[in-house]
Amino acid sequence: MRAGRSNRIGVDIGGTFTDLVLIDAEGRLFHNKTASTPAAPEQAVLDGIRAIIAQTDLDFADIDEIVHGTTVGSNTLLQKVGARTGLITTRGFRDVLEIGRLRTPGMFDLQWSKPEPLVARRHRLEVTERIAFDGSIILPLDEDELVTVTRDLVDEGIESIALCFLNSYRNPVHEQRAGQVLSEAFPDLRVTTSVSVLPEAKEYERTSTTVVNAYVAPVLGKYLTRLEEGIAGLGINAPLLVGNSNGALASSETARSKPVFFISSGRAAGVVGGGRLGQALDLPDLVVFDMGGTTASASLVQNGELSRVSEYEFRAGISTPSRFIKAGGYMMSVPTVDVAEVGSGAGSIAHLDSAGLIKVGPISAGADPGPVCYDMGGTRPTVTDANLVLGYLPASIAGGARQLSVDKAREAIAGTLGEALQLDAVEAAFGVREVTNANMARAIRAVTVERGVDPRDFTLAAIGGSGPVHAASIAELLSIKRLLIPASPGVFTAMGMLAGDVERYYIAPFAGELETLDATALRELTGRLRQQATETLRAEGIADDCIECITEINLHFRGQEMTLAVPFDEPFDPAVVRGQFLDMYQSIYSYSSSDSIEAVSIRLTGRGLLPGKLDFRKISADRPEVAEPKSRRDVYFGRDSGWVSTPVYARPTAPRSLEGPAILEAADSTVVIPPAATARLDPQLNLHIELA
Amino acid sequence: MASNLDPITFAVLKSAVESIVDDMAYTVMRTARSPIVRDVLDYSTTMCDAKGRILAQAKTVALHLGAVPDAMEALLRHYGDDLAPGDVIIFNDPYDGGMHLPDIFMFKPIFRDDQHVGFSVVICHHCDVGGRVPGSNASDSTEIFQEGLRIPPLKLFERGVPSKAIFDIIRKNVRLPDLVIGDLEAQLATCALGERELLRLVDKYGVDTFQSFLAEFLDYGERLTRNEIAAWPDGSYTFTDYIDGDGFTFEPIPIKVTITVRDSQLDVDFTGSAPQVRGAINSTLSFVKSATYLAVRCVLDGEVPNNSGVYRCIDVSAPKGTLLNPEFPAPVAARALTGYRVADTVLGALSKIVPEKVAAAGEGGNSVVCLGGYDKTTREPFIMVDMINGALGARATRDGIDAITNPSQNMSNMPVEVMEATYPVRIEEYGLRPDSAGAGRTRGGLGVVREYRLMADEAVLQLRADRYDTPPYGLFGGAPAASSRNLLASNGGDFELLDSKVTRTVYKGDVIRHEQAGGGGYGAPLERPLDAILEDLRDGKITPAYARKFYGVITDGRGIDEAATGALRAEMADSGAESAAP
Repeated sequence: MRAGRSNRIGVDIGGTFTDLVLIDAEGRLFHNKTASTPAAPEQAVLDGIRAIIAQTDLDFADIDEIVHGTTVGSNTLLQKVGARTGLITTRGFRDVLEIGRLRTPGMFDLQWSKPEPLVARRHRLEVTERIAFDGSIILPLDEDELVTVTRDLVDEGIESIALCFLNSYRNPVHEQRAGQVLSEAFPDLRVTTSVSVLPEAKEYERTSTTVVNAYVAPVLGKYLTRLEEGIAGLGINAPLLVGNSNGALASSETARSKPVFFISSGRAAGVVGGGRLGQALDLPDLVVFDMGGTTASASLVQNGELSRVSEYEFRAGISTPSRFIKAGGYMMSVPTVDVAEVGSGAGSIAHLDSAGLIKVGPISAGADPGPVCYDMGGTRPTVTDANLVLGYLPASIAGGARQLSVDKAREAIAGTLGEALQLDAVEAAFGVREVTNANMARAIRAVTVERGVDPRDFTLAAIGGSGPVHAASIAELLSIKRLLIPASPGVFTAMGMLAGDVERYYIAPFAGELETLDATALRELTGRLRQQATETLRAEGIADDCIECITEINLHFRGQEMTLAVPFDEPFDPAVVRGQFLDMYQSIYSYSSSDSIEAVSIRLTGRGLLPGKLDFRKISADRPEVAEPKSRRDVYFGRDSGWVSTPVYARPTAPRSLEGPAILEAADSTVVIPPAATARLDPQLNLHIELA
Repeated sequence: MASNLDPITFAVLKSAVESIVDDMAYTVMRTARSPIVRDVLDYSTTMCDAKGRILAQAKTVALHLGAVPDAMEALLRHYGDDLAPGDVIIFNDPYDGGMHLPDIFMFKPIFRDDQHVGFSVVICHHCDVGGRVPGSNASDSTEIFQEGLRIPPLKLFERGVPSKAIFDIIRKNVRLPDLVIGDLEAQLATCALGERELLRLVDKYGVDTFQSFLAEFLDYGERLTRNEIAAWPDGSYTFTDYIDGDGFTFEPIPIKVTITVRDSQLDVDFTGSAPQVRGAINSTLSFVKSATYLAVRCVLDGEVPNNSGVYRCIDVSAPKGTLLNPEFPAPVAARALTGYRVADTVLGALSKIVPEKVAAAGEGGNSVVCLGGYDKTTREPFIMVDMINGALGARATRDGIDAITNPSQNMSNMPVEVMEATYPVRIEEYGLRPDSAGAGRTRGGLGVVREYRLMADEAVLQLRADRYDTPPYGLFGGAPAASSRNLLASNGGDFELLDSKVTRTVYKGDVIRHEQAGGGGYGAPLERPLDAILEDLRDGKITPAYARKFYGVITDGRGIDEAATGALRAEMADSGAESAAP
């Protein structure tokens, strides 16, 4: 049984840097940024572990747990480097995967192309079998035929097979039998049955989810093995936990068998960390806003609960903030922290459209050549260039490692944008910043306004290298008054890794009218799911008193397709659940209905509460305070305020209480406090800003 | 640009309005009841200013939205000086602002204090509005009175008070009142959301700034459009495409367009198109405008907003009493088909102006399969309205798309598992249709096949397909796609070919199969790289026979017989050169 864990490492692999955070038994916090090694990501993790251990008085053997967010899943999809995968379906349905749901992400676009399916048509084969919608068997499974078609695939070099039969969610017997037959006939073949991943209706969503699992599994498995071997090689004898797309943790074994739950492994951790930080600071309602180099994202923590969705699409490039589109990506119906992403970040290029309107992104200057001010050959102005010209950023970054050229940035903005707009470089730069802020606000709107949630009731928690540079301006756009900038926003995602619980998810169809549901059958079903969850969590080393199970019932009005998940306790009381559903529905859609309410399925989340979980209250931060700013510089705060002489503080030694305008600089990010705002640093170095 | 509107506020308001309509679209999807709305997504959402000009439209059915200006005109004609907060207006009358009866328009005027600032607009295709056949969508009606309940512009809510009379009349006249009322509720919720969000914006920026924005935003749309059209060569460009027949006759029905480019203005004239027909494929002029706007919009830059400013640059006309501007009481239920063909025709003419921006013809619009009847024991009605999409034609530098929504819409498909659990059908096949694409340097997309076995004792089948006699055209030497086919196997027998438009009774165990047309090819097939041909062969997207016929490739499906292929291709190139000679 794992108990008393104390020395924990959180790891988040990003495109440029691999961030590590170590919290020791005394609550001391260490962090480290190591250059990522995309070809063999574990290399940077191992280098980082060596480096961070060296900062402490610990030995490798003292490490009790490593928690890891990996981009291996998402990169495998992005770069199409997954296993050679085959798909076997019910006769007549080999093309379900490629047909998809038919929609396009944009309109009026004759030049768009569908993404290539992860399994080519030649590797999608059919077998004779058929289950009816009610689960009855219409045609038995032809096992000989199954082996024959699979042999063809194996001969073609297929390593991993997805099995998805029609209506298997109602009766899994054919799929399960087919899985058995294949495992016996082809012991080296990796087989994923759809019911093992997603026993839910809708053949495309289930097929796609299963195929992603089959496609990613061998790659992620090999990576985790290399990483575990490397960690053991260092002399660390500690479990490796992996963050899933829902912001929770699971053993590396679970990640190996169900990788589709781990595709957005890293992205969710920042939100989990935000939620934990909010809990520690008694701020239960947060918009967690993360802005990096090429994208920015927003997610909601409401009443201490993370906002989650039950399906999402992985897309190359940018996901629009519109949750309405089902198109153009690899669909996964798995629980995921609901993150809206926009394709603008600090490196996005600003340009004019043909009618003279400023646009920012989606093209990014990337790391090479980078923004114009890096002086590495970039000629197209980026958001970073605009921020530099306006005085928001220091003239050198990364602890003085890189000098920035304000002149080059100013010239590029004046030349590319200013002349055409008849604005000087400063006003044009401010325009770039404002358009960027509007784009960012769109991501936040997608997770607030779009759900009927008023962003003004929330605190904006800004993370990522550039989040704190823009946060105050974005908050103003949305009339948000309070901001929270955590102590180390640049490595906050890695910290978030240490804030998660272990979770496992179970779903089972359970259809019928709410009022007349069979209470006995429901009790048996939830009992079975609870038992499964408890056994699995025990096997992962969680003590019984640390296990909790959350049951939810998916409901809708008769005839609707989408459902709302309503939590329930036992004994199940339809009247209580009905009331909750109606309240929820009313608050989202501003109307309700007297129609009958139907149940669709039961979800159960088994949660293993980790005793050593990061507690932000316990992070110690003894530090000297320096009342005087280290310097002053002029910052442009818009046409009304104009240039304002602004004090600049080193964040680690900044005074406890501040009045805007002020700028706080640290190695991992810069914080902008606008005029008339007030700010205070709490004992854990989190910065709380109140806007005027 | 108006003096009190800086470019930044403009950009912020623009994206705000655009996200409101997406929020609205999402709300319909979440709250609607009928599969045609919630799964197939046959609906649209838009936001208009107080004068009824479109500000933004969501990524929903494009063909609905060009019709909003004419609908608005009807609404303002009836209620221009009689709109109050809390009013909700509905109608569906094709001869008074509507398109066809199943599409119920809903408008909610939005007020800040006493000032009228805009309208939320939601159009949903309802699963049934009464009339002679379930689904209210038959091709073979002969007058509008057969097509269902005709609703003139009426106040469904007056100052927040619902009209029991209208609700009751609708409830009594449709086959599936719970679904229809449920979908109307979804429309109401969506209109309310649009109102709430627009007011939030108006309150934040002030009515005056908002009004300046409206004017500038429409001008901006116009300016971007004119910039592009001005770069096109002046002149007149003609194209003709055909519909198979109206369900009564099998004579091809021509749609002819002449596009005249003059400076930055387009004149789109449909003179020369067929006279009004007996069957229900007549299309209101408003819908013809929709289809035209959408086709033109497809060749404009992606940044052009979807607002009324764009339409100022496009004049559309069709003589009265024709297929594209019928006289009352002509039937119009199946007019969607005509809209698709209008878009195909306009894009055909545009291919002569901006060849690199168009695609060859796609499948020709969704095919509609409707099965309706009553459960023998419960007497409960069922109406399945399924829409089959689609294939995109080949583009100048890339292949078309296999199985995709028609660009006139942004529709989805009904999951097979949902269909089987909802309706008395079993789906025997849903897949790509090999060899359906038009060959070319780039090939068209493959159409799809969908096969239904009826599990109820009997049902009325309405099938609306097209592209039987005039397959989707190829461009610049590309071959046309395969024609579509409707098939029926009754009493356990073999499949028999049906007409392109069918209304008939089918019985338990009957199997209905639709094989959809693909998309046309682009450029000479002999210029297609052998690698690409081989890839399609290996994927079973084309057969060896097809490869031989169109590409001169001799193959066993895996490898290419290079010598024989070289000889055949040389021969085809020669005969092609001969036939191309004058």
